Amino acid sequence: MSAEITITAEPIDTGRCKFLVSVPVTPGGVRRFTSADDAQDSPLVAQIFAIPGAQVSEVIVSGNLVTVVKRDQAPWPMVGREVGKAIRAALASGAPPVAVKTVPANPGGDDALYDRVAQLFEDEVNPMVARHGGRVELIDVQDAVVMLRMGGGCQGCGMADVTLRQGIEAMLNRHIPEVKGIVDITDHGSGANPYFAAAKK
Amino acid sequence: MDLTVASEEPSTFQQAEPANLVTLELSDPERAAEQARDFAHVHPLDGVLGVDDDTAVVAAAIATRLGLTGNPVRAALAARDKHLQRLALRQAGVAIPGFALHTLDEDPAAVAHATRYPNVLKPLRLSASRGVIRADNAASFPAAWRRVAAILAQPDIAVCGDWARQILVEDFVAGPEVALEGLLVKGELRVLALFDKPDPLDGPFFEETIYVTPSRLPADAQRAIARCAQAAATALGLREGPIHAELRWNTQGAWLIELAARPIGGRCSAALRFGERGTGKGEGVTLEEIIVRHALGMPLPSLEREARPSGVMMIPVPRSGLLREITGQTAAARVPGVDAVQLTIAPGQALLAWPEGSRYLGFIFSHGDTPAAAAASLRAAHAKLEFTIEPAGD
Repeated sequence: MSAEITITAEPIDTGRCKFLVSVPVTPGGVRRFTSADDAQDSPLVAQIFAIPGAQVSEVIVSGNLVTVVKRDQAPWPMVGREVGKAIRAALASGAPPVAVKTVPANPGGDDALYDRVAQLFEDEVNPMVARHGGRVELIDVQDAVVMLRMGGGCQGCGMADVTLRQGIEAMLNRHIPEVKGIVDITDHGSGANPYFAAAKK
Repeated sequence: MDLTVASEEPSTFQQAEPANLVTLELSDPERAAEQARDFAHVHPLDGVLGVDDDTAVVAAAIATRLGLTGNPVRAALAARDKHLQRLALRQAGVAIPGFALHTLDEDPAAVAHATRYPNVLKPLRLSASRGVIRADNAASFPAAWRRVAAILAQPDIAVCGDWARQILVEDFVAGPEVALEGLLVKGELRVLALFDKPDPLDGPFFEETIYVTPSRLPADAQRAIARCAQAAATALGLREGPIHAELRWNTQGAWLIELAARPIGGRCSAALRFGERGTGKGEGVTLEEIIVRHALGMPLPSLEREARPSGVMMIPVPRSGLLREITGQTAAARVPGVDAVQLTIAPGQALLAWPEGSRYLGFIFSHGDTPAAAAASLRAAHAKLEFTIEPAGD
């Protein structure tokens, strides 16, 4: 690729970090990987799982966003550098970095969960965030993990993580305890009209 | 652990998740403490933390009301207000610059002729050196005064109370500046990190750039700085929790410039990790975890910072305008020693340079075999970044 690829790391906490890539990593859909075995057809993800010492446990790829979950306590600046190298190497190779999903990993369970989560979003979550001009889109459910994207007033909002963890995740835990986790694949940096401005610095 | 987040405007989820979210009148700490007490009757609280200067006062009020680990309210108030802070420090004999409080009603030309030079004009409560300007003589003082006054007249500040109509004028203290990150436990200061600031902060504006730790100052200077910070915390009445202090060091010793009852701001805390790898004493523990553990009375991990020098650069804003494009991020991230380049202002957003501004373009993090190497990596990475900034429209 001739244009410079930029990657912005947005650590969520010690274990999770989002990497926003300036070009699409995958053409469509969301793919979630929970082991290197899952990633045999996706060289980018395989390289991330292979980062020495990071103990990567999960990689979620959606559009130009790569979310990495690790068990190791090493600070993200060190691991993130390796993730960045993996992303650049995969994009430079010319091969598809991430294979298109063909078969749902757990069709019965995830499909049923998807419907229940979608209903909860429609009935409860979206009417609530709509009061602040926001919306929450259910992208997928994979292995009982909910992937969502925030929009409108939620995108880039200084309170987005509070809404996500203290509101949406808590509500999911209570109403659909089978849900094992929640992943926000929003590009918050591009939020044009956040309800609350992001932190000053 | 279960977390409740307080905000001054209600979350849209508050009714659905009443244990997780609570609305408090953060502008009125005592009222907020009453509200927190009512909340705690239903949802018991084990600890409370503020996240900035204002909520540090609210946290103190709540801690006092509920008998939780925290600071006395008057101590948190003194830490928040530069004039109250200096009064308390002067009374306790802590080394601080000479100072005088003025109101915007005064004639700056008259003040200019009655003050020493060089001096520094400061708003009482703004953070990140917003509105802090050095004046070297009576000729330049009125212009600096008017510039600070214009910042204080901005709508979001002017409504904040009496402090927004006051200016602190204090002597400029020469010498290198350092930042001390500490944790108070029963009034005793545990120094978590001492950062050198290799770029001289001599004004006229005081935008921060590079922080590198460990400090390269001599050991006796570092001890004197820690003693000065301890004396300041004690003088203010602070007892528990994080402090972030700015000090200067010169032939006369350590000088306390600012002390806040909160941790380091922005994303800078990511430059700090505690506990040595492989020792079993906590590996890669964050500053935030230490602070939360302390607030909850949980055992603390090792408070020893990792052995390798580390640094962070707050990427300065070269000029005000509209950010159009950022290039060089890849090259910056590839500079040896650089851990990450995090840009926090996206193209299309407005930039405001210091002293009016207070928001950096982002942060660069590094490690090195020496503090100088960590700093050099930050400079090299910054040199790779190019920001296209257009004049802001009307």
